[in-house]
Amino acid sequence: MRDSIVRLEKAAKAFATPEGHTVTALDAIDLDVSRNEFLTLLGPSGCGKTTLLQAISGFVELDAGRILIDGEDITDRPPYRRPVNTVFQNYALFPHMTVGENTAYALEVAGVAKAERTKRVADALRMVGLQGMEGRKPRQLSGGQQQRVALARAIIARPKLLLLDEPLSALDKNLRQAMQIELKTLQHELGISFIFVTHDQQEALTMSDRVAVLSGGRIQQLDTPRAIYDQPKNSFVATFVGASNLFEGEAIGGQLLTADGLSITHAKVQTTGTATALIRPEQFFIAQPDDAAPSLDVDLEQIVFVGSTFELFGRTAAGRRVIAEIPATRRNLVGEIEQSRRARLAYDPAAVHLIPAEAA
Amino acid sequence: MKILASLARGSLIGYTALFFAFIYIPLVLIAVYSFNSNPINMMTWTGFTTDWYAQVLGFKTAISESALYIESTDQLVQAVWNSLMIATSTTTIATVLGTAIAIALYRFDFFGRRFYRVVMFMPMLMPDIVLGIALLIFFVNAGVNLGLTTIIIGQCTFLISYVFIVVSARLAGMDRTLEHASADLGANEWTTFRRVVFPQLLPGIVGGALLAFIISMDDLVITYFIAGVDVTTLPMFIFAMLRRGIKPEINAIAVMMLTFSFVIASLGLYLRSRQK
Repeated sequence: MRDSIVRLEKAAKAFATPEGHTVTALDAIDLDVSRNEFLTLLGPSGCGKTTLLQAISGFVELDAGRILIDGEDITDRPPYRRPVNTVFQNYALFPHMTVGENTAYALEVAGVAKAERTKRVADALRMVGLQGMEGRKPRQLSGGQQQRVALARAIIARPKLLLLDEPLSALDKNLRQAMQIELKTLQHELGISFIFVTHDQQEALTMSDRVAVLSGGRIQQLDTPRAIYDQPKNSFVATFVGASNLFEGEAIGGQLLTADGLSITHAKVQTTGTATALIRPEQFFIAQPDDAAPSLDVDLEQIVFVGSTFELFGRTAAGRRVIAEIPATRRNLVGEIEQSRRARLAYDPAAVHLIPAEAA
Repeated sequence: MKILASLARGSLIGYTALFFAFIYIPLVLIAVYSFNSNPINMMTWTGFTTDWYAQVLGFKTAISESALYIESTDQLVQAVWNSLMIATSTTTIATVLGTAIAIALYRFDFFGRRFYRVVMFMPMLMPDIVLGIALLIFFVNAGVNLGLTTIIIGQCTFLISYVFIVVSARLAGMDRTLEHASADLGANEWTTFRRVVFPQLLPGIVGGALLAFIISMDDLVITYFIAGVDVTTLPMFIFAMLRRGIKPEINAIAVMMLTFSFVIASLGLYLRSRQK
């Protein structure tokens, strides 16, 4: 077994809504995060990901279950006695303190001597690219810089685990992408585990060692980004992460027959029974007349150029929607089908992923 | 259309000028006539003098005794001294209690919290005269001798509300996640209060204290009922003077009070802008 830094055992939490209902935020969650791992909690709003994070930081009390950090049971410890620091969604910088004072806060509270504090503040600010900014006030910084101060403040005490609650959601797209790479680099340099919460699947896939997809207070799938994308365990994961074409039907000997008369060829010859086939839009290519690959005939409703690709929105004869993504390098082919408004979308049977019925 | 727009603009400027004139001209007049040397009719300008100030402050002046009506500067000084002492005590008590109540109502959820909040607003809405009579009846029935103590207790009953409201407004604008951030970084509740909550609350506390101080210095109606016979505050002293006719010394006293209030208000605004 891998060296575990955080372990959740049957962690459960339910909230009462003002209307008198009960919402299960955490449904007996088991989770292990390894030392030096970058784990992302991904899910739509209300899936329990923030509750899970707050349970670890101590701001949400569990109804049942245990939380262990580095083998120690910290379930009943208040937030200020947990070896965990958080980067908050709105940064939560202290407005009346300078950048230096904000960054030094954890050390000051812990009683670290002034001289060492000054040195470590300088180090932490250098790590996040804000050297020499000690004297500024948070309001004099841009959003991206505030984000970095929040990061420096959270890592200065060398926590065993860093929690990040949608820290990039307020940044614009370019800055967000730059910060994604920086965060990943920083995590490697520091050698501490990160638990990162986001609802942005692109962000999750880009940064994580493993991704936990949450829905309804449960971990739907916990896996590497590639496995999450290529082999989703159920149709929720398939649709939440990336765009998808799902075909539910009966699998018989390498074919999947849908109720509306389609036949999807796949490589899982031995699978039989009810299943859902997943074809990612980028797996489709425009079939040549002499192509032997299996294909779907669609009427094109829309062709959208998004730069690196064309997105084709089509419908089968039975009215089923199909999305395909064609690389922009094949623009001559796209030009042809734009004329006819019809396309034969071919795919490789090996690229079809089958989700068995019980999981879907 | 252009004429209409400029007309609207012109009348807006005119209205604004009138508005400020309405509010400030009486004050400006008092300030000007406090330097008027005419001892009989204040509104007829005869010449410049600082005699009224000198008189109020107890210096010998050229004004004939018959024109004066401050019998004793000592009484005036005593009244100012009483007012300052009362204001300092009530401000201290009201600030500490008002702030504590505001924090408690913000932080803790307990039975009757909303009712408590309404109760805290009540003294501000109550007519002064009713509050004054109620306090008087209470003190007399309780057998407390009227004097400085009853004035301080009586004023605190409504000054606490003012501090409470100012501090509550500040608390309502505070970001709760800052306290979470502090706890997350290892600070216990006391350290979090001292290092994060209190510094952010300070402008509100100072503002509430200054407001309480000025209201206390200024209060006549309630204080009048519960002062007894031995203690006279500055507003009571001025009111007593007025009953014997309006004389130029009043102007001088008014201008000095105005200046004092202005200094306090400016101090409050300055502290507030510096904290932001």
